[in-house]
Amino acid sequence: MKHIFDKYKREIVVFLATIVMGMIFTAMNPNFLSWNNILTVFQKMVLNGVLAAGIMFTIITAGIDLSIGCTFAITGIAVAMCCVNGVPPILAIVVGLLIGVVAGAFNGFLVTNLKLQPFIATLGTMSLYRGIAYVVTGGTPVTNVPDSFRNIFNGKMFMGIRYYVLVMIVVFVIAHIILSKTRTGDNLYAVGGNEEAANLSGVNVFKTKYIAYIVCGVCASIAGMIMLASLGSAEATAGLTYETDAIAAAAIGGTAMAGGRGTALGTFIGAFMLAVLKVGMVVINVDSFWQYVVTGIIIIVASYFEFIKADFEAMLARRKNA
Amino acid sequence: MKKKFLATLMVATMAFAMVGCSTDGAATDSSKSGGDSTQTAQSEEFNPDTEKDSMTIEEVREKFGDVPVKSGLKLGAVEKSLTNEYWRTLQTGYEEAADMISKASGVDVTVDVDGTTDESDETGQQTMVENMTNQGCNALMLSPISDSNLTAAVENAKDAKIPVYNVNDGVIATADYYAGPNAYQNGQLAAEWISNKLGDEGQVAIVIGMAKAFAARERTSGFKDWIADNNSKLDIVAEQNADWDRQKSKDLAATWIQQYPDLKAIFCNNDDMALGVVEAVKEADKDILVVGVDGIGEAYDSIRDGGLDATIDSFPYYTARVAMECTLRALAGQDMPRVVATPQALIDSTNVDKDAAEIIGWEDANYVAE
Repeated sequence: MKHIFDKYKREIVVFLATIVMGMIFTAMNPNFLSWNNILTVFQKMVLNGVLAAGIMFTIITAGIDLSIGCTFAITGIAVAMCCVNGVPPILAIVVGLLIGVVAGAFNGFLVTNLKLQPFIATLGTMSLYRGIAYVVTGGTPVTNVPDSFRNIFNGKMFMGIRYYVLVMIVVFVIAHIILSKTRTGDNLYAVGGNEEAANLSGVNVFKTKYIAYIVCGVCASIAGMIMLASLGSAEATAGLTYETDAIAAAAIGGTAMAGGRGTALGTFIGAFMLAVLKVGMVVINVDSFWQYVVTGIIIIVASYFEFIKADFEAMLARRKNA
Repeated sequence: MKKKFLATLMVATMAFAMVGCSTDGAATDSSKSGGDSTQTAQSEEFNPDTEKDSMTIEEVREKFGDVPVKSGLKLGAVEKSLTNEYWRTLQTGYEEAADMISKASGVDVTVDVDGTTDESDETGQQTMVENMTNQGCNALMLSPISDSNLTAAVENAKDAKIPVYNVNDGVIATADYYAGPNAYQNGQLAAEWISNKLGDEGQVAIVIGMAKAFAARERTSGFKDWIADNNSKLDIVAEQNADWDRQKSKDLAATWIQQYPDLKAIFCNNDDMALGVVEAVKEADKDILVVGVDGIGEAYDSIRDGGLDATIDSFPYYTARVAMECTLRALAGQDMPRVVATPQALIDSTNVDKDAAEIIGWEDANYVAE
């Protein structure tokens, strides 16, 4: 018990804060705890959660991927075009995943082989990928995606839970396994913590970074396909500014922007917290302009937990000694 | 140490309490400010929707008659975001209007259309306008990204004695003329239609787009004011922003459908968001009216398929024709009003397959060589 507590202090603190938030929302509108609304919260967190899981990998390597919203849009468009033109859904999904791999690998190429700053490199690909999406569609949305594709993600399992919620959970479980149980995970943390030292100790830095950006691209393309299934249409403007929410979720969950730290569980809880916040504010009918103010405050306060974590630890120690 | 932790929790709780308190206040405030903003706009700054010196295109034709066209006129048009269907249609409208006018009058009229790739390149748009001024265009038709980004470029054009027509959306207070749909009326038409469909009672909600250009604000206040002015029993239970994003508006509507089981209609500031709401309504298997604004092709398709219930189309193709006609009139020295309201109409299943020209009763003016 103590072991788990030590390892996931940060996650537990954020989770408790989320519960407190949920209690406040419930006090103001009991409907917040209805099963259907809980489903809404989980559905709301799916896109941001999957995107955040991906961007967490790049942030752990002390990088960033600003192009996820654009990979998201391109995948939606490409898969929509495939489906509309009669490509079997499974094959269309493979195409979507490949787009994620290519988009991510190109980002990886820029930050490793060309040694570009991740922020600048992905700022460039952000515009590049978005431009491709515009060029391919000519600005017209692709519509009438058949149900055979949509139901794969958008269909209901039981109790109203949709398959895409399961997809998100699988993404997080895989992310957790990669990060905590594999050599690749160790390498990701090592590269983010101290690239020079990692290199000297025999970690293949290039390969590790490529993996991070490819995982990120694939997550973005999975999110793009979920969006497509949910809306039944894809447009070039989809996913604008989605990267900011993804970064926020990862940061709230304890992923250090300087690299070397971050967990799948933390990011999951970060995305969960944002979803609770966003749905909760709609449920209690907070004015739209105020929502921005509140979201900002919450992100700052939640990030402040980073610093009080040490205090929390000390407090626990005192308790134990007393 | 423990204190510090508690203090942080307190801050978080306070932030919520603060928002909680402001909720009720904000709701009444916003409904009040909706009415106020139109009033202050009337007295202080230029607002095309409430401007007194305003005519419809029919009134213009009745007053001034034929459109005299000088030979060899070169017009310049700068739009925003050619990735957006609305602005592309406006572009087609300009180009086909120039062809049509050349044929009808027998003298050559050309138009140069340029536009930014996205809705945030404010300085890029300014450069385009200055470029057109320098190339010696005889008149400019501008659709600014914001209310202010073309102010300097318009001053330049004025110095060069080039008349400027402000065509829709961002409002340039210093431009000579404005042509565009009445955004306030968009909201009124939607409210009236919903009221008729529901027998004037039931809960309604509004999905707003974050207001950068004034159209979104006007659409929302037109909708709310219609309900207030007509003592309608429609009850606006919620009003939230969805950033013009289809996924966000779907999520928003899904939450509302849980919270307000008796919700009867949702009005959206544009079609994109309305189509997201349609998906949420379908998934919940509810009978909720969804009304958008813009009249994009996808909205028409959705109305045909029984998804979207109505949209208010402001016919960018004809907006371009009206704008060009008025620009030529101004160039010929006719004393044009400050504002010309362009045609718009509510489209639902009863008229979705009708020709636009038929719906708005469009006829071209008579163009004669000067």
